[in-house]
Amino acid sequence: MNNLSSAKKIKTAVSIFFAVLCVIYVIPVFMVVLNSFKLNTFVKTDTFAWPGGEMFAGWDNFIKGMTFGNYPFYKSALYSLVITLLSTFLIIMCTSMAAWYINRVNSLFCKIVYFACVFSMVVPFQMVMFTLSKTADVLKLNTPWTIPIVYLGFGAGLAVFMFTGFVKSIPLEIEEAANIDGCGPVRTFFLVVLPMLKPTMISVAILEIMWVWNDYLLPYLVLDINEYRTIPIHVQYLKGSYGTVDLGATMALILMSIIPVIVFYLTCQKHIIKGVAAGAVKG
Amino acid sequence: MINSTMMRRSLRRWFALFLLPMVAAFCIGFVWPFLHGLFLSFCKFKTTSKWTWVGIDNYVKAFADESFRYSFTYTAVFAIVSLVLINVLAFAVAYALTQKIRGANLFRTVFFMPNLIGGIVLGYIWSMIFDGFLGRYGTSIITDSTWGFWGLIILMCWQQIGYMMIIYIAGLQAVPEDMLEAARIDGATPWQTLWKVTIPNVMPSITICMFLTLTNGFKLFDQNLALTGGLPYIINPDGTSVHTTEMLALNIYNTFYGQNSSARGVAQAKAVLFFILVAGIGLAQLSATRKKEVQQ
Amino acid sequence: MKKTLAMLLVLCMVVALCPAAFAADEGSVYWLNFKPESDEALQQIAAMYTEETGVEVKVVTAASGTYNQTLTSEMDKSDAPTLFVAGNQAAVDEWADYCYDLTGTPIAEELNTDAYMLYDEDGKLCSIGYCYECYGIITNKALLKEAGYEVSDITNFESLKAVAEDITARKDELGFSAFTSAGMDGSSSWRFTGHLINLEYYYESVDDPEAWTSCPATITGAYMDNYRNLWDLMINNSTVAPSELATGGFDAQAEFANGEAVFYSQGNWEWSGLADKGMKAEDLTMIPYYCGVEGEEMAGLNCGTENYWAVNGDASEEDIQATLDFMYWLVTDAEASRIAVDTFGVMPYTNSAVSTNPFLANANEYASNGHYTMWWATNYQPNVDAYRAAVVSAMNEYNNNPSDETWATVETAFVDGWAVQYQAANG
Repeated sequence: MNNLSSAKKIKTAVSIFFAVLCVIYVIPVFMVVLNSFKLNTFVKTDTFAWPGGEMFAGWDNFIKGMTFGNYPFYKSALYSLVITLLSTFLIIMCTSMAAWYINRVNSLFCKIVYFACVFSMVVPFQMVMFTLSKTADVLKLNTPWTIPIVYLGFGAGLAVFMFTGFVKSIPLEIEEAANIDGCGPVRTFFLVVLPMLKPTMISVAILEIMWVWNDYLLPYLVLDINEYRTIPIHVQYLKGSYGTVDLGATMALILMSIIPVIVFYLTCQKHIIKGVAAGAVKG
Repeated sequence: MINSTMMRRSLRRWFALFLLPMVAAFCIGFVWPFLHGLFLSFCKFKTTSKWTWVGIDNYVKAFADESFRYSFTYTAVFAIVSLVLINVLAFAVAYALTQKIRGANLFRTVFFMPNLIGGIVLGYIWSMIFDGFLGRYGTSIITDSTWGFWGLIILMCWQQIGYMMIIYIAGLQAVPEDMLEAARIDGATPWQTLWKVTIPNVMPSITICMFLTLTNGFKLFDQNLALTGGLPYIINPDGTSVHTTEMLALNIYNTFYGQNSSARGVAQAKAVLFFILVAGIGLAQLSATRKKEVQQ
Repeated sequence: MKKTLAMLLVLCMVVALCPAAFAADEGSVYWLNFKPESDEALQQIAAMYTEETGVEVKVVTAASGTYNQTLTSEMDKSDAPTLFVAGNQAAVDEWADYCYDLTGTPIAEELNTDAYMLYDEDGKLCSIGYCYECYGIITNKALLKEAGYEVSDITNFESLKAVAEDITARKDELGFSAFTSAGMDGSSSWRFTGHLINLEYYYESVDDPEAWTSCPATITGAYMDNYRNLWDLMINNSTVAPSELATGGFDAQAEFANGEAVFYSQGNWEWSGLADKGMKAEDLTMIPYYCGVEGEEMAGLNCGTENYWAVNGDASEEDIQATLDFMYWLVTDAEASRIAVDTFGVMPYTNSAVSTNPFLANANEYASNGHYTMWWATNYQPNVDAYRAAVVSAMNEYNNNPSDETWATVETAFVDGWAVQYQAANG
């Protein structure tokens, strides 16, 4: 009995400890919130102070953050969204189809493609960045509507790997049954296989969304950056811009860029955590 | 069996729909740039269209480049320190959170959150915090390389502990309950149980996390660029400078785009060496996990 | 019904495609600009030209400190810049292969001086200046008077130092400082690593003019102590403590416009920004970099330009022609050259608008009173971005911990760093 209550006490202590740790953990994000309401000059000198009194900038920083830095924020947010959604969709569709084909046909060519995909997973982006940006430019893949093809190409490895791993575990009998019922490969895939792939699809989608949304170097080198900027490019550009960097407005901009991410995280938390675990264990 | 052969045959006819799009994109986005890059590492070039073959000259220059050697050592030290710190902390957190404590789900949610924020934005947030903090002591993250190093470590821990924690939690939850029960009945202390039962059972997760943190450390770019950008430099008496917080990926990037364009071939050679290094770690991971599987 | 619809669709497509096809035949202009502060004006000029002639002009501006990198990646693209900036001999040497020979073109004929022409080794006219500017120490005469001084009191480093230190001593009483902040972040450090340092290079070039007819392989650093004189004065009598400079984030222009400081190290292009903030021309003047050199009472402002145009010879013939036409128009059209002159400074072309910039008037005044003009020797800085980055790092160290030892590192970065970058660029 005594033992039990002491164990309970320890657990409560651990809980409290972690609660404190969590508070510390969110401080950086909290600092962004604080400073996004501060006038520029105080961000540097009074970083940790409450934005009260003369420091308070109201919503001015947010209004300024929408437009400042020679490029409107909403545009970069929009392009980020377009690129992320298109790329993720394209990757999921193309790689799941490819993975099924690879696994079921299993010819020499398929094996080569599969091996190349696995190989591509260990190649760092720096290896291909110079030539890839050139190739993408020649093929006019430098717009938000075409860059998903680059993402599909460079990001295919992990997705193909994850899908093939799952397809392997789907018993052939189900597809054979569909075949007997008169389904061709296309209908078999879309009506029978695809629904079964759903958990893996979500995992892959989560991983791709996290990658593409936050990616900096690939879009920076590939996109026509003067027309199209994603959020990370926009933020990085602010640092190099001429004249004064309004830190308050920058923080407001950063806050606006992470709020959707946090909302996305809180709503799809379960899937995200599952997807991450799945991707890591297999990759 | 006959059926599946027939299915295979009919599926093959749909090659253009199922496999071609992915293969085509894969060639554009990976195969061609990779081979082209490999080729150009043996050339002197400013732009990809004007090149001259120089053999292994670029590799000789890359190895002779002090900044490259420095950034290699720096990156290796960084990767190992972050590997140890992140894994120890992430495992500790995961272990505690799987002990059925109150609020575990909430804690997990919070710890994982930084992963959703991209490296560039993270770098910006943390440089504001470090500036505000270190400014009081008359120093800053871009003038003091010690702070530069630990600042980057703090940032990486903050970002990655949550990720590794998720993997550890998955591993810990898979430890068979009866084994733990048996240990308890045998009178093992919690400490003994941890070392003798739990850790051997989550070895696969540990391997995965170790390699993940190692490759992440070696490939780190965005955070490095946004937080310190390589500053401060050490100016050697001969006028050359060492970018004290510049990691491999950033060094390659700077050689490609920052400096004079005649070094572009060298940059590509560095990139190939970088690839061999990262791929080597990947292969080591593969063989390590294979070995484990055989043992089990 | 369906047929009509299809016909309509086809018609729409043809109509939509036609202008694009014609425009492509005419050629278009793509100007890669390197000065973020002039982006707005250039966009306006580009729009004007397009409206007037229908020729598409795209102006793209690289973020500060990234021009070289942007130029390199853009030049490799299929629609590479047709007009780019090769602002010094080093840049011309690097990009000579890509430069169209401007000899005898109408735009080159318009130049009213041969001071702003850059040639490659074979004598090809690669690059021509489109405007020149000046920089020095912008001074708020009204504030100076409040402190009890006249501009004429400042004739050399000694007197400048006396004034600045007196203002610092009475800072609380006066309510302003001598110098604006000298932020060392990317948005401001070029004022010191790219401008202020000109005094060192310039006086070196006076001692050895032969060595400075093209980019010298090494420099001596003989006047580094003078650079230090002025730098110390700037950071120790400023609105901001030296140790805070590294991370930057200050707004020197606003400090100056708000009357927080008397001196502001900048160039003539600041005029429009200061005027927008309500400053009056009669309160402003620009004085030379006084740094303790013998005979500096006769110094003038730093005049020159990095604004050199080069035309991409690899572009299509139509694009080259369109680009040349655009350049010609820009320096001859009254309205366009007006905007350009207001943004950039003086245009050395026969038919351009005349400048109304007070600082350029100062430059002229100094010159006509027999003061020597300090030409822009900084244009020779080899591998400029990498060179300056190293210098900034060394200066940060010095600002945090000012001593002879840390200054020695600054010297190394400036002097030996030059040799290293020269080797890297030319070796």
